[in-house]
This record gives sequence, structure tokens and C-alpha cells, in this order.
Amino acid sequence: MVGSGAVLSVWLIEEINMERGYWIKSKPVYTSLKWHEKATSHLVLATGIGGMAVLKLFQQMHPTQPVKVLYGKYGQMEADYSDTLKMVVPEGLHIHKFDDALLTQFQLELRDAQMGLRIYVAGSEGFIWDVVAAAKPFGIQEMEIMKEQADTLARSVYCVHCKTISKYVTTNITACCGCERMLFVRDHFSRNLGAYMGLMVDAESPGELPAIEEIYP
Amino acid sequence: MSTINVKVAAIEAVTPLIKHFTLVHEDGSELPSFSGGSHIVVTMDAEGRTYRNPYSLMGSPTDTQAYHISVRRQESSRGGSLFMHEHVHVGMRLKITHPVNLFSLSKLAHKHILIAGGIGITPFMSQIEDLKRVGADYELHYAFRAYEQAAFVNELEEMCEGHLHCYADSQGERIDLNALLSQQPLGSHVYVCGPSPMVVAVLETARNLGWPENNIHNEEFSSPPVGEPFKVQLAKSDIEIQVPAEMSMLEAIEAAGVKADSLCRGGVCGRCELTVLETDGGIEHHDHYLSDSEKVSCRSIMPCVSRTKGKRLVLDL
Ligand code: FES
Repeated sequence: MVGSGAVLSVWLIEEINMERGYWIKSKPVYTSLKWHEKATSHLVLATGIGGMAVLKLFQQMHPTQPVKVLYGKYGQMEADYSDTLKMVVPEGLHIHKFDDALLTQFQLELRDAQMGLRIYVAGSEGFIWDVVAAAKPFGIQEMEIMKEQADTLARSVYCVHCKTISKYVTTNITACCGCERMLFVRDHFSRNLGAYMGLMVDAESPGELPAIEEIYP
Repeated sequence: MSTINVKVAAIEAVTPLIKHFTLVHEDGSELPSFSGGSHIVVTMDAEGRTYRNPYSLMGSPTDTQAYHISVRRQESSRGGSLFMHEHVHVGMRLKITHPVNLFSLSKLAHKHILIAGGIGITPFMSQIEDLKRVGADYELHYAFRAYEQAAFVNELEEMCEGHLHCYADSQGERIDLNALLSQQPLGSHVYVCGPSPMVVAVLETARNLGWPENNIHNEEFSSPPVGEPFKVQLAKSDIEIQVPAEMSMLEAIEAAGVKADSLCRGGVCGRCELTVLETDGGIEHHDHYLSDSEKVSCRSIMPCVSRTKGKRLVLDL
């Protein structure tokens, strides 16, 4: 523990005083959703405020190919675009109350889908990477999925000590929901886990914590 | 690039136009193992010039005693294949490069669609060994002119059991690419090796149907096209080189003693890319590496396959 604490201090300094122009490559870059011109069908997934990204997609155009939209009413923030979506997407819209049900339907759709289906997702980062994980068993690679980050900046944090993932962390330092260690939320992101690395913050001097601030609202 | 000295152990005429060469290590030791889809570059010292031609390894990747390549006689081309057909005999020594794989099977694929045209069947023969070993799902679509001229159909029938589909042009059989590629399960990958028009057709069809780039793989080992002779100026080396009609620019650069990078020598890998400083007649791009917009901009050229139509071409080399 003492050893890893020493390493941590270096990281802390590095990241807290992060230089301008310094960019951690593992950190995903998200885009604005835009229809793929070449596709045989489209599958759009969104939750909460991500519904706005779907509305913007349909502002671009209504594709000639079949489209399905799976919308989860509640993202992290209580924003529900169901009613507007119902008007804009008269066919192929499926509204779910919870993410889990949405992801279950997503996997059912993928089971019978064929090459040429393009996938789009808009929502919190946590939701985006849940979708990536759900698609992986079907041989779909992460970069094939178009992703727009909407809703909260909250992070999923992987505790490198007990390997638990704490979801929807909005602060720079958080208590691990598995081992209760105080974790510093790093910028290093694992695409496989869909989470940022969290490292014990007070390993060297237990109880001494830097100020906890909400920086991922 | 480090080379291996090999000896020709056997030559077999598979069809009137295709010869199968068995190569063993000169001193009888084992050859490096490789993965399905790998190729080697064979160096041939003909009088007055050196040919370096890439050939796919078609034997089993687990067989390190011998390498197997097949060469189609290309009358219209620059002579490498003619040399293999006419001058290479059993017992002769040749230099080859270590195997390189630019056409490897995706480990993430759930299903592999292999499309071969003519002699383009060779890389698939080693890949099928790999696919069978891991029990992967695949289909092999093999198109050729006529059954009499098609290589390895019997072997393939045995190897692939029900997975082989043959198309003989002479009988009016064609691969319906659109039908084939529009009905594949998610997680499929397509691989094509064959003549340029076939490669282009597969790439275009797959892209138009929305296949992601990562799921499309191609290899083209047609020899570099013959063109008009032209002159090229190498700015850094400060020399001017004449590129004859039946020689590729890369070969001409190498013949002039200038070091140039290459790997596939077939316009696929991008390793040989050179920056164009000046051109007056535009570039005949024959590669599958540069994007369309890069081709139009004429800022880069792949000298292993591409040429110029103009009088003046200056490269940053
Ligand atoms: S050597 Fe591969 S593109 Fe030229």
C-alpha cells in the first residue's frame, strides 16, 4: 500500500496540475450523431437527455432504410423526450422505463440483425459503454458504434484495488462502493471495462484527503 | 530485410498456367512458422535485373518443413512470373523474406466470408487450415474462368467440405456480391483476393451495404501494371531514374541503389508511400491504400504499383 501511495502522489500532481493541451489518449472522444449514408438499417439508442440527440438526428433527415429507436425515459437527469419522440418517430420507436429493459431489447434486436445495421447511441457515458458491452458478444467493435455524450458527465470508476465499478460518480474523489476506500478518479479510461481508473487517495497518510469537489456534474 | 536462403524441392504444373513450387530451407532446417494469409517476397536474379515478387504461402501454417507457393504465368507482365515458370528448376537456390501477414483473419469475427478470384485462391488455402483448426464459421467463394483452368478445386472440396462455392465464368456463373453480402449475420468479416476489378467490386459492395471498414479485408497480388516508361526525380538522393514500361517504380528505385521501404509490394499495406513534390501529368494510382481524396490530391504515391502519365515526377526521397 505504501508503495502504491508513492506512485499515486506523482499521478496526482500530474493530473491535478494538468497542463493545458495535455490529452490522455485513452479518454474517449464523442461526436454528434449523424446518419451513416451507407447502411441497410439503423438502430438508435438513447436515454434521458440523449433523446435530444435523437431528435436532432431526425432533423437531419428521415433515412430511407428501416430505423428503430430504443429510448430509455430516465437517464441520470430527469428529462423525458418520449412525447416529442412519439411525434417525430412514428414507426419503430420503443420506449422503456429502465436501461436494463432497453439493453435486453437491444440484444434481442442484434440476434437477428445482419451486416449493414449501423448503431448510434446517445446518453451518459455509463450508458454508452453499457451499450458497447452489450454489443460486443455479437462481434460488434466499439468504434463501429457512433456515440454522443449527453446527459451527465458522471463517470463509472473502476477500483484498481477491489475491482468494483462505482457508477455515476460526479466528484474528483469518491468512496468505492465495494471496499469503501477513498478513490481518486483518474482520466485513464478502459474501453473494456467502460470505466475510469480509481486509485486510493490517502494510502500514504490515511484520512488526509484533498478537497472533494463535484467536477463531473 | 532479413532473408532466408531456400532451395526448390519440387515443381508441379497445377494447370497449364499455374505452377506450384515447394521451397525448403537450404540447409534442411525448419522454416519460421506463419499465420494463414501470410506472404513471402521471392528475390529472383535474372540477367540484368532483379525481380521481387510477393507470393502467398498456401501450405499449412503448422508445416515448417516446407513453404508452398503457386505462380500464375502472366504473359503481359514484367517477367517475374515468367522467370519463375521458365528459369526456376528443382534444386535451384532462391532468396525469400520472412513471412509477413497483411491479410490476417480477424480474431473477433463471428463468420468469415472468403472471396477468391483465380490465383487469388492461394492465401485462403493457408487460412482455411487456421479456420478449421479453431472451428470457425466460414464460406469460401471461388471464381475462375473455367474448371479446366482452375487450381486446387479438388483439394479445396476435400478441405472445405460444404463450405466451398465455385463459380465458372465459362458457364456463366457469377458471384452475386449484393446478395451474398446483404445477408450475413452481424460480426461477419469479408476477405477478398483476386484481380483488381474483383477486389474493387467487393470493397464497393460491402461499403455500400454499410459494412464497417474494420470488417473488410483485401489483398491483391496482381503484378504491378505495365505502363508507359517515364522519368522520376528523387529530390533528396538528387538523381533521376528512368522507369521502363515493364518495371515498377519501386523496382527502378531499388535498381538504382536507393533504399526504399516496402512490404506487400501490391499496393495494400502503405509501407512504400512516398511524398510527391511535383507532377505535371497526374498519377495513375493502382493501389488500394490511399483514400479517394488522397488519390485526387496527388500528394502521395505508392511506388510498388503506381505510375505517372506525365513527363515530370519529383519525389521526396
Ligand atoms: S509496399 Fe505495400 S503498398 Fe507498396
